[in-house]
Amino acid sequence: MIANINEISIDRLLGETQKLAGQGYRFVTTSCTDLGDGKLDVLYHFDKDAELQNLRIKADRGDEVPSISKIYLCAVLIENEMSELFGLKVAGMAIDYGGHMLLAPEALKTPQAKITIEQRGAK
Amino acid sequence: MNSGVQNKMNTKTTIPFGPQHPVLPEPLNLKLVLEDEKIVEAIPAIGYVHRGLEKLAEVKDFHQNVFLVERICGICSAQHAMAYCQGIETLMNIEIPDRAKYLRVIFAELHRIHSHLLWLGLFADAFGFESLFMQCWRDREKVMDIMEATTGARVVISINAVGGVKRDVSSEHLAEIVTICDTVNEDMKKMEGAFLNDYTVRHRTEGVGYLTKDQAYSLGAVGPMARACGVAQDLRTKGYAAYGKLGFQPAVEQTGDCWGRTSVRIKEVYESCRLIKTAIATLPAGDIAVPVKGNPNGETIERVEQPRGEVLYYIKGNGTKNLDRLRVRTPTFANIPTLLVMLPGSQLADVPVLLLTIDPCISCTER
Repeated sequence: MIANINEISIDRLLGETQKLAGQGYRFVTTSCTDLGDGKLDVLYHFDKDAELQNLRIKADRGDEVPSISKIYLCAVLIENEMSELFGLKVAGMAIDYGGHMLLAPEALKTPQAKITIEQRGAK
Repeated sequence: MNSGVQNKMNTKTTIPFGPQHPVLPEPLNLKLVLEDEKIVEAIPAIGYVHRGLEKLAEVKDFHQNVFLVERICGICSAQHAMAYCQGIETLMNIEIPDRAKYLRVIFAELHRIHSHLLWLGLFADAFGFESLFMQCWRDREKVMDIMEATTGARVVISINAVGGVKRDVSSEHLAEIVTICDTVNEDMKKMEGAFLNDYTVRHRTEGVGYLTKDQAYSLGAVGPMARACGVAQDLRTKGYAAYGKLGFQPAVEQTGDCWGRTSVRIKEVYESCRLIKTAIATLPAGDIAVPVKGNPNGETIERVEQPRGEVLYYIKGNGTKNLDRLRVRTPTFANIPTLLVMLPGSQLADVPVLLLTIDPCISCTER
């Protein structure tokens, strides 16, 4: 139901983001969803004249995703949040809060990630 | 001057601003690096009130989530529920009655007025103008009183529901809302002079926290923060709910400083009063809700203009009563990065006033 979604591979993320920045798009945010099979779905939302353009990547939990904060500095907060709450590895963030932007040191790691009862028992 | 004294004068000092500070209603920490009284670097830090509400939304059913999203932020509760309900209605192909759309606008704009009056009062208090603070909050009480009279609550009014609104408003109460809008409008004209023209107040706001139009846009600023820099973005121009029928025009300034942000919010109070009165004058008769059957399926994005700016809801349903994902990006989350640019170069004494002009709502930001 979402219009203007461009599904891309991780290695095209920086190029496509740069292209949107060149076209005058404003970075809005990202929406990360744990698909439950070790995969994360990440939607990057951009706005121009109140119309959204979206980039979608699918990442395995161990994959490293490049930070877009060198193109859009404002992405730094949401990238830190995805890293903390979902365990998404984001490489090259302009400011790295070291996993404690939202979470206290004693908090459960990656609380938004889907976790099986077996995995929770092993922790 | 000997070299020892010279070295001491060039030493950088790092001081924490917050998380507890008289000017902050909610906890936010700024790590400020200073050379004398001038800020050379600022790093914002949050994480004091994270509640995991997005995770909680996955175990509540989609009707219960209306109550949950209203509690992301009290001051913007009507608009949070409005955005969420509009998103679910899109997923379920529900067309709500026109009267419900108008009532949603009336309550959303009452919320905007009371939020801006709250901010104007806090702002006046930040630069030490206490009588102005009390004048703002006296008018805010009138708005909260009518919300209590019409919905039963002063802040978290819980008027929105999936499929429409929960309560109708009587003609007597509608007339009372019009009277309150007229009073607020008249009082704001008197207070506007103090906020925008007073000699000492202008010294605290003019040229402070300056942001160019390009910086505001590239840093993703939203709401009055962006509009004070000449970026005329306001989602109400998209015409959601009944805004398309009320002739809305966004308030814009070009100065990009604290004065501009104050001016935009004052103009928005006038515009909200006008929108409410127009909505009441043209309020259609009829039902206020439609029955809701089934469960949401698929994904959608919904955006609404809150008092602090654009809020984004990403909602993913799976055909059951529970959602796969509810993601909320609030306006303060978008406005915090502007501090990375606005604070360096500013004086330490200007930090409270400058910080307040982003109208920080930290509970919103951390969810």
